[in-house]
Amino acid sequence: MFLHNFKYRIKCIVKDKQMMFWTLLFPIILATLFNLAFSNISSAEKFTKIKIGIVKDSDYNNNKDFVEFLESASNHKKDDHENKLFDIKYGSRLEAERLLEDGKVEGYIYFENGTKLVVKKSGIYQTIIKSVIDDYTQSISTIGTISKYSNGADKNILRESISNRVDYMKEVSTSRSAPNTTVNYFYTLIAMTCFYGGFLGLKEVTSIQANQSTQGARINVAPTHKLKMFFGSMLAATVIQIIDIILLLIYLMFILKVDFGNQVLFVLLTCIIGSITGVSFGTFIASIVKKGEGIKVGILIGFSMTMSFLSGLMYDKMKYIVNENAPILSYLNPVNLITDAFYSLYYYSDHKQYFIDISVLCLFPVVFSIITYFVLRRQRYANI
Amino acid sequence: MIIKVENLVKRYGDLIALDHFNLQVNDGEVYGLLGPNGSGKTTAINCILSLLKYDKGTIEIYNKPMKPDAYDIKRNIGIIMQNVAVFDELTVFENIDYFCGLYISDKSTRRTLVDEAIEFVGLNDFRKFYPKKLSGGLLRRLNIACGIAHKPKLIILDEPTVAVDPQSRNNILEGIQRLNKEGATIVYTSHYMEEVEQICTRISIMDKGKIIATGTNDELKGMINSGEKITVEVFKIDYSILEDIRKQPNFISAEYSGNLLVVKSNKGKNNLVALLDYLKSKDIAIGKIYSEPPTLNDVFLEITGKELRD
Repeated sequence: MFLHNFKYRIKCIVKDKQMMFWTLLFPIILATLFNLAFSNISSAEKFTKIKIGIVKDSDYNNNKDFVEFLESASNHKKDDHENKLFDIKYGSRLEAERLLEDGKVEGYIYFENGTKLVVKKSGIYQTIIKSVIDDYTQSISTIGTISKYSNGADKNILRESISNRVDYMKEVSTSRSAPNTTVNYFYTLIAMTCFYGGFLGLKEVTSIQANQSTQGARINVAPTHKLKMFFGSMLAATVIQIIDIILLLIYLMFILKVDFGNQVLFVLLTCIIGSITGVSFGTFIASIVKKGEGIKVGILIGFSMTMSFLSGLMYDKMKYIVNENAPILSYLNPVNLITDAFYSLYYYSDHKQYFIDISVLCLFPVVFSIITYFVLRRQRYANI
Repeated sequence: MIIKVENLVKRYGDLIALDHFNLQVNDGEVYGLLGPNGSGKTTAINCILSLLKYDKGTIEIYNKPMKPDAYDIKRNIGIIMQNVAVFDELTVFENIDYFCGLYISDKSTRRTLVDEAIEFVGLNDFRKFYPKKLSGGLLRRLNIACGIAHKPKLIILDEPTVAVDPQSRNNILEGIQRLNKEGATIVYTSHYMEEVEQICTRISIMDKGKIIATGTNDELKGMINSGEKITVEVFKIDYSILEDIRKQPNFISAEYSGNLLVVKSNKGKNNLVALLDYLKSKDIAIGKIYSEPPTLNDVFLEITGKELRD
C-alpha cells in the first residue's frame, strides 16, 4: 500500500503542470534572468587586450629594444595568450592610420626622434598605452643616466635590476575560489527553490486531510493508516523536489557555468537537506493553518519570499544587515542557513561553519514534522 | 443489522446539526435518507463514517463500534461523496486503481476489480481520459466507480446525482439497484423524492437534524391524511361550485386555474368517482382527468408544514 500510494503520488505531482512550473521551471527561468543580468556586469568589468599598431619602417629597426619590450607584454607568441596587455598589429604608417580610423586599434606607435603615439580619442586604453611608453622611456633614461656616472658597471645587470619590480606584499586568498558577489544570488535562488518544495508538501497534506479535500475524505474512509499515507506522500514530494533541485543545479553548473567551488557532494547534501526542510515546511503550514488551500498557498509564498529577501535574494546587502542587527534571525531563517552553507563551502577552507549551518538547518524539518504529526494524527474533524 | 445509530448529537457552535438522530439499516436493503438541503443528511453520513466528531450518541456498523481505526469495518464500506472525489492528474483507470488499491493490495485481483468497475459504470471508452475531459455525468460515474471498485458490502451514496443529466441519472439509479441485487446494502441520501421513491426499499425523512418519519414508500404515504390529487379539465366553473366542493367530506381543497380544476382529497376510497358524480350532478362539462397518489412531498408537507424543496 505504501508503494502504491507513493507511485500514484509521484504521478500526481509530475502531472500537475502548475506545480512543476513553480518548483522547476520558474527557478530555471529566474536563474537565466540572473545570469543575463550578471553576465553584463562581469563583461563590463572584464579587461580585454588593448589593440595597438606599430609602424614598421626604417626607424622601427633602430628601436628594437622598445619593440621587444612591447612584444613581451603582448600576445604575439602563439603559446602565450593569457594575461597579456597588448595585441600588436604591424604595418606601414598608412595601414596604421587606416586601422585607427576603422577603430581596429586604440592607437599606433611610430618612431621619429623618439617614440610617438597617435590616438583618435582619449580613454582608459589610450592612457594605459601612454603610461607604458612613458614608463619605458623613463626607465631607459634612468639606465642611461646611471650608466653615464658608474664606470665599469655591468649594464645588463643594471638594466635587469631597474626593470624588475619587486612586490613586498603577497595577496593571499582565504577562499577556495575567486570572490564573486553575484554567486550569492544563485545561492539564495537555490535556497528559495528548496522552499518552493513547500508547495509539494502542502499539496500532499491537503490531499489526505478529510477537512481539506474530497479526495482526502475518501482516503480517510479507506482502511489505511493515515500516517502511512502521509509518509508515502511526503516521500514522493521529497523525491520530486530533490530531482527538481538537481536539475536546477545541473542547469546552473553546466549551462550557466555558475561556479560552486569543487565540493559538489556537499552542495548536493545541502540541497537535499534544504529540500526536506522546504517540503516539511509546506506540510507544517498545511497542517496548522485552518483555512482554505488558497490562503495556505498565500501564506507559504509570503513566508518563503520574506525568508529569501532576508537572505539577500532581492538585495545582497540585506544578509549582512540582518547579521549585524539581528544575528538570531539568521539562525531562525532556514533559507538563510542554506545560503550560508553554500557560502561557507565556497569561501572557507574548512567545513566548520558549513556543518554548523547544516546542523541547525536539520532541526527545522524535525520540528516541522513533529508538529505536523501531532496535527495529522487527529483522525476526526470538528467540521468538513 | 448493518448500521445502528442511537441518539447522535452533532453541534456546530450554537447550531444543532443532528438532534438525537437515530437510524437503523438492515442487511440487503436500499435505505433512503430524504430531506431538504441543510437537514443534516451529509453530517449524519460523515459521523457514521467517523470523519466528523460528534457530541453524543453511539454508532455501530456490523455490530461493532465505528471508529477511525476500525479498519475491518472500513474494508467493507464504499463511499460515493456528494462532490466528485477524484484526482485530476490521474486517468479514469488510474483513479479507480488508486482508490481500489487502498483496499486491495494484490495487483492482479485489483486489475480485475478495476476492469469490472469500469465496465459497470460504462466508462470503457474513456479509460485513458483525464477527469477534466469527462462530462458531468461521466465524471459522476467515475466517482461511483472509485467508491465501488473494491466490491464493498455496504455502499453509502451521498447525493450522487446532483447536477447530472437525466440519462446519466437513470444510469446511476439502475446501477445502484444492480449493486443491491448483487448483495450490497445501500444507504442513499437525496433531496430528490422521485429518486428515493424509485429505488429505496425503506425511507427515512429528515428535517432539522432529526428523523421525522421512517417506513416503506407506501407506509409513509399511509401515515398522512391526504389522498390522491385529482386534476380535471373544466372549461367553466362558478366560484360557488368550488366552495361547494371544498365542503364535501372527501375533499380537502379545490382550486381552479387555466381550465384545470385541482382537488386534493382525503385519504379514502372512491374520491375520484365522488368528484365526477358531483360535477355531473351540476351539469359541468369535463375534458381530461388525471389522478395522482400522494407523494413524499405531501408526506413532508403534512408533517413539517413546508415543502420538501423549500
